[in-house]
Parts: sequence; C-alpha cells; structure tokens
Amino acid sequence: MMITLRRISQLLFLTLFVVLFFRAVFPYAGPLPADLFLRASPLVALAVMLAGRTFIATMILALVLLLLTIPFGRFFCGWICPLGTIIDGSDHLIRRKRRPGGQRESLRWRYWKFFILAGVLTAALFSIQFIWFFDPIALLTRTFTTVIYPVFAFSFAALFNAAFKLPVLEDTVYSLYDAAQSHALLPIQQPHFFQSALIVAVFAGILALGMVSRRFWCRNLCPLGALLGLFSKFRLTRRHVSEACTRCSLCQRACKMNAIEDDYTINNTVECIECAECVAACKPHAVSYTLGRNPGPNEVDLSRRRLMQASVAGLASLALFKTAAISRIKKGLAIRPPGALVEEQFLDRCIRCQECVKICSSTGACLQPSLTETGAEGIWSPVAIPREGYCEYSCNLCGQVCPTGAIQPLGLPEKQKTKIGMAYFDKTRCIPWYKQEDCLVCEEHCPLPEKAIRFDIHETRGPDGTLRVVKFPYVDEERCIGCGICENKCPVVGSPGIFVTAAKETRLSAPVSKRGAASGV
Amino acid sequence: MQDEITRRDFIRIGAGAGLALTLSPGAPPLLQAAPAAPALAIARNGAPGLLVRKAVEALGGMNQFVKKGQSVLLKPNIGWDRLPEQAANTNPEAVAEVVKMCFEAGASQVRVVDRTCNEPRRCYLRSGIEKAAKAAGAEVRHIVESRFEEVKISGGELLTSWPVYRDAIESDVIINMPIAKHHSISGVTLSFKNLMGLLGGDRGSLHNHFMTKIVDINMAIKPTLTIIDAWRIMLRNGPTGGSLADVAEKQIILAATDRVAADAWAMGLFNVDPATVEYLRIAAKRGLGQLDLKRVKIQEINLGV
Repeated sequence: MMITLRRISQLLFLTLFVVLFFRAVFPYAGPLPADLFLRASPLVALAVMLAGRTFIATMILALVLLLLTIPFGRFFCGWICPLGTIIDGSDHLIRRKRRPGGQRESLRWRYWKFFILAGVLTAALFSIQFIWFFDPIALLTRTFTTVIYPVFAFSFAALFNAAFKLPVLEDTVYSLYDAAQSHALLPIQQPHFFQSALIVAVFAGILALGMVSRRFWCRNLCPLGALLGLFSKFRLTRRHVSEACTRCSLCQRACKMNAIEDDYTINNTVECIECAECVAACKPHAVSYTLGRNPGPNEVDLSRRRLMQASVAGLASLALFKTAAISRIKKGLAIRPPGALVEEQFLDRCIRCQECVKICSSTGACLQPSLTETGAEGIWSPVAIPREGYCEYSCNLCGQVCPTGAIQPLGLPEKQKTKIGMAYFDKTRCIPWYKQEDCLVCEEHCPLPEKAIRFDIHETRGPDGTLRVVKFPYVDEERCIGCGICENKCPVVGSPGIFVTAAKETRLSAPVSKRGAASGV
Repeated sequence: MQDEITRRDFIRIGAGAGLALTLSPGAPPLLQAAPAAPALAIARNGAPGLLVRKAVEALGGMNQFVKKGQSVLLKPNIGWDRLPEQAANTNPEAVAEVVKMCFEAGASQVRVVDRTCNEPRRCYLRSGIEKAAKAAGAEVRHIVESRFEEVKISGGELLTSWPVYRDAIESDVIINMPIAKHHSISGVTLSFKNLMGLLGGDRGSLHNHFMTKIVDINMAIKPTLTIIDAWRIMLRNGPTGGSLADVAEKQIILAATDRVAADAWAMGLFNVDPATVEYLRIAAKRGLGQLDLKRVKIQEINLGV
C-alpha cells in the first residue's frame, strides 16, 4: 500500500519534472515556474546563498523542504527526487551479483556524501561554489537539456523524416510533426551542444554505479541527501518492528539505502528515505510506521578527522580554482547572457543547470555550456556563441528561468538596452572589405530600431581593376548591444567577417529591484 | 489571356530552353497587346482585408487564378520577430482575406509558409499571421529542412539550381504576398526578394551579386498572382525596423499578374525611380514583366471617397 503510494508519487513528480522541463520554452507562461525543482533544492539554496553572501527570495521553497525534513525525514529522496526515481528505474534493469545470504552490504563508501557536503560547503564559505557538479536536480536538468532533449528531438525528427518518404502518410505526418513543433514538444531547429559528451558521461557513470549497489549515488555520493539526512534526525515517525520479527533479514535486503542495522529492528534515520520497501518485504508483517522518535543509531558517518580532511580538500580545490589560468583571448570572447551579474557574483550563483540554455534553444539558441572559456571556475556555465545562435532581440527568457538569479529577470525594455558585447568587423574576411563587393547581410538582420550596423557608400576599384560603387559596413559602438545575429548570419564560410566580443558588456552589480515580465506573444 | 498562359508556361520550373531563348533579351515585349483585364490593380483607403478583395476583383476575381480543386501556396513575409504594427511582416488581416478568397474560388488547400530569418515560432506567433491564416482555414506549418528539393534554373545567369521548398513545387498556384519595406541592398524589398522565403540552402550567399541572383531565383519560382501589402510601409531601418516612427500608414494594396510592374509601381511609394533599380531592369530584359508603367494597364480603386 505505502509502496504503491510512493511509486505513484515518484512517477507524478518525475512527470512534473519532465513537463516543467518542456515548459521552459518560448512562449513562456505559467502556471508553475519551469525552474520549480531547482528552486526547491535546499543544497543549491544553502551553497549559493553562502557563496554569494546573500538571501535569494525565489528559493524560499528550499527552506520549506528543509523544514519538512525535520519531522518527515528524507521523504524527498524516496518520494520526490526525479533523479532518485530514474536511478530506481535503472537499478531495476541492472543485474547485480547476489550477496551470500544474510550478509549486509558494505558501508565503506557511505561517508563520502558527507565528505562532499562538507567540502563544497567549506568552499562555498570562501566564495567558491561548485555544488553545481553534485546537486541532483541541477545535474538532472543539465543532462535533460544537453543530452536527453536533443536525442529525443533527433529521434523524432528522424522518424518523421522517414515517414515523409511514404507518399500516403506524408501529409498526416507533416501535420503531426508541425503540431508537435507548434506546441513546443519538438524544437524547430535540432539543438546541438558542445558539452553533451562530458555531461552524459557523468550521468551514465551515476547510473552505472547501480552495478555495485542499488541507489549507489543516493547512498554514498549525493550531498543533497547528506544535507537532508542531517536534518532528518528528529523525525516524528519511526519504523517499528513487532515481536513477530523472525530475524529473516528480508527487510535489510529489501532496503534500497542499506539503512537497516544487523539487529533488523533499528534503522539509521540519516540514511532512511522512507521508501517503505521494508514494510512490504516483511513476510510476518512485523514492520510498521508509528509516531515517535527513532531509537536507531542515527549516526552521521563522518568522523572529525574526515570532516577536517573534507574542509582541507574544499580549501585546496578553492585554491586550485582561484589560481588556474584563464585565457584572456577566450575570456574576451565569452559572452554572458543579458542580465548576468558581475562575474564573481555570477559564478557564485550559477549552478550550471542549463535551464537558460534549454529555453534559449527554443528562441535564438545562442547559449551553450562552456568548457574552459571562462576559466576552471566557469566550467559548464552558459556563454553565448553567436556563430551557433544569436540573442533574440525581443526575448528575455533566460533570466526568467534562472533559479538562482545568476541571470537576473530583466524586463524586455531593459534587456533590449543591455549590452552583452560588441561586434567588430574582420576586414580581411568581410566581403565588401576584402573583395569590394556588396553583401550587407549583417546590416539586414541587425534588430535595433536604429541599426547598429551602418554603411558608407563609395566608389572603389575591385580586384579586377574595375571601378564600382560598394556599401562598406561599420559598427556604431553606441548602439550595438552585442546580440550577435550579424555574426550568426554572416555568409562567409568558417570564421565570420563580423564577430562579437565581450567588450563593453554591461553586467549587473546587484539584483534588479523589480522582476521584469516574461516576453510573450 | 493568351499572353498569360505563355508567360506562365515559360517560367514554370523546367521550362524548355528553346522558349527561354525566344524570350531572351531582344525579344519583343510580352504585353504589347493589353489584355482585357488590367495587369495591375491598386486599391486605396480601407481595411486591409477589403482592399485585398477589391484589388483582386479588379483583376477579374480570384477564380481567374485559382480553379476549383487546385492547391495554393501563399507566401507572405513572416520573416521577422515583429508585431503587425511594426510593418516588418505582411499584414495578417490581408493574408487571412486572401486565404478566404482562395477557398471561395474552390481551392482544395491553402498553405501559408515562410522560411523565417528570426526564430520561426516567434515569427509565426508574433506576426499574427499564423493565427489569422489558420482561422481562415489555411495550413500554416513550419519549414522542415528535409523538404527542400534542388530545382534547375533554366536561363539563370549566376545560379543554375537552388533548393526550393517542396510545397512551392507541388502547389498548383503560388501567390506571392510581400510587404513593401525599405532595404539597404535593393533600396526597397518587394515581391522579387520575398520569394527568398521559399529557398533552402545558404541564402546569405545570395546577397553577393544580389541583383542578378534574385532574378535567377524568380525564374525558378513563378507566382500566378502577386499581392503587395502597402497598407503600412517601412520607410527606414528595413527590413527589420522596430520603431513605429519608421512606419507610414498608406492604406494601399496592389494586386498584379505582372510582378515587374507591381514592384515598379510600389517603388514609387519610396520615391525610387524603378528604372534605376537594377534587378527590375534585369527582370524586364529577361521578359519577366513590364518595367515601363506607361505600357501597363493599371486600374485604381479608391474606397476612401
């Protein structure tokens, strides 16, 4: 009974997660924010607020979740977490070697999650935030954006394209395909991401750990689980084992988290995720949930020595991140989304969830997870790559779905005035400049009401010696906002005749006082 | 009407080279004997839908162009992520009216499509065209990249072939429906440039030697009817615009069987002498239409008086 309820809850929350993920799209409209799950992660909230030394009001849900954990335990891990649900699913598919009867699974990796938690929080205390790598919701959203969604879109497009070739079905298929696109289930342009291989490797690794044990990630590595475990020490309900217990060990074997002690009557509240597998597994029905404090050991598996090690590791990584070289050339080309806070604050807050990248892929598609462009500290943070996509002039959606405010929710008029960079002509590649022939594709697409790309008309001698009148483009630095559509549409093959750098970018030094409305239809 | 059919057949995709030769530079003008119906109708002062209807009626009505059971491809400009009042895209009310008229004439299907410059969904939604045309019964779908087919251009000077959208190839009737806008390359963008929205491939490369290439493209795609939306026109900072200060409300809709004449007439709205526009000179030379407006039968309808 409890198990059925739990499974329904898991499926519902996973569905909600997927639906909200798909809702991160133009046109963007409620009723729920697309970044709801991300906002609800207490780990993200704690690390980001610690690193940024600030309170982020939109993350209030995380506090609620944390408070609920005190009386109800790690119900989030067992009943809600979409990554946990996916791991449960993949664990079902993985065959593990059977343990010799009655022997408890190893506990030797269990402390790692506390180690990681202590390490990232120590680093956050010193203003280096790398919780982004570990937070399960950020990790899953990142994988959905850069791997699952593109693969999903590609598969459907391939299916439709194959069906197009069947003359009878062609029209039906075309209309179905278009309906899927119009309702934003499928993208119009196939999304491509530079970092998808690395990102999927992490995700696949987490699922593959299921070969060692069930919920390996949750048991041993997830720092969000560790944090919730710390708070679940005082839960109001307890697992009660009656006299009927035959010491058969079925409950211990059924426990996904290896939280049941060898005594079988007691379990570790810090590890228990309230999944109720033990209740169902018990043949004599000896296990039930009742009110009261858990008598179990409830220990946090982190010795003082390990805590010290974790803090030192956190500090060491901090030093590494802060002293790593950043290429000035690459950094100069790394364009942040409009509304991004100043770089240090931006990195304190950005959890690399790629929610901005997801919604951007439905409009201008300029945002990509970076690798080393913004230094070691900036891995997978979003940058605009104008040659791949451009910042759509009438779009402000990246800031609307940023859960931490690393990108602030600018109103459309403010966004349209926000410089994210500046365009420069490469006169050795621009067609009018290097071969004295008209082109002006950049000028045609420049979206500013008073175009930032201007041109002079004068007579010139072409390479063949003939006199001709040519339009020579140049950039008006006052007007250019660096949206990059010029670079994106430049017809020169390879390196473009006009390109955008981060020069003259305007970054916010404080969050906006008033949240701007999402740009709509 | 004899001229009509000859011209239509000529520009049809894959037209015989022999016919192309007889109409190459030096051949006598096509419209020497003015047909009974005007080649160009101009309706002024009224709602966009009404003006479209009056202009097409002046050419003899939509059933002159769309026969019962025929499929129609209607190509408005939906290229930009702009609102109707910014006049970067064709007027949605006018588009919807054309869709209605096609169905009244017995069309089996009306498709509205454009390969946009900004993100497609934004353009379709914010232009208002998707909603208006769908409400009138049209199929409004996004471009699918795999649906372009390479088409040979016989008589093309710089282009010998180009990928064209399959809907344009398969439709019985093509109606080209641009909005009149300023454009820095050609001065004004009208019906010739609007057909670029049916092209696949790297369209940016067409902007180099644009004047010749755009005529080449117009030899591959042959609209039966050209309707120019000059209800609002964009005077500066085109073709994207954005500022209402650059938009003038003219309340004019043109309908034409002669696209050279249509573009030539609309140039006047921007105080451009059509004889100075290179692509029109090339097009007229190749026999795509009449550049000398004095030799075109024009009917004007003014609903404002």
